[in-house]
Amino acid sequence: MNLRVETTTPRDGVAVVSLSGEVDVYTSPRVKQEIVDLLNRGITRIIVDTTKVEYLDSTGLGVLIGGLKRARERDGDLRLICDNPRILRIFEITGLTKIFDIHANEAEALDAVK
Amino acid sequence: MTEGGALVSTTEPEATVELSIPARPEYVGVARLAILGVASRMRFSYDEVEDIRLAVGEACTGVLDRGEGLPDAPPIVIRCLVHPDRLSVEVRDTTPGSTADAGATGDDFQLGGVLIRILMDEVTSEEDPGSGQHVVRMVKYVAR
Repeated sequence: MNLRVETTTPRDGVAVVSLSGEVDVYTSPRVKQEIVDLLNRGITRIIVDTTKVEYLDSTGLGVLIGGLKRARERDGDLRLICDNPRILRIFEITGLTKIFDIHANEAEALDAVK
Repeated sequence: MTEGGALVSTTEPEATVELSIPARPEYVGVARLAILGVASRMRFSYDEVEDIRLAVGEACTGVLDRGEGLPDAPPIVIRCLVHPDRLSVEVRDTTPGSTADAGATGDDFQLGGVLIRILMDEVTSEEDPGSGQHVVRMVKYVAR
């Protein structure tokens, strides 16, 4: 499988989900499951690190949008880390930069989490 | 999808590459690799090649969405027509009577349809009069 998902919990209630590889119609269900599992465990402040994502399609975007919605329903949040111009462009052309808080690195994202 | 009138080529392509993949999520990446190979041989920039790759992946994903739950879904056929000034790609849903309008199904594919329209220069989505199959045709022009 062309996607690696690694999750750390740097603080109580905060998780960083690091994705490496391709997020597409085949692999995005794994990302969705990881987010759902975290929320079910009461971890509602989720940071998804897309720094090492080489490919992201609409199903991946849909999973992130769904994750943000579910997190907010639990008074949480879902933020993104992205410094890849190619991936950033996909968020920009779909208008999702208005919906997601996007940070340049993990330190900045963690600072922004309440 | 927008309706474009300029998609029917009046000249023969200098090369045609056709690929048939199983209508399963794990094979969409194979279609992306193939289109990457074709587009990379043309005078597209790196960003343009990536745009074409994403658009073709989205079109294949749209076919999967339309056929979701169908047992033994027939293959997806991707046909690349290489012209000196453009690359034309047809993504054909070979499910008989697959007349669903692209973009009319799940939210993800609506987003996928938006991406395709932004990334490619011309896009049509229509029922092929001969076969009754659903075809997405998209064109990217080589910068002059």
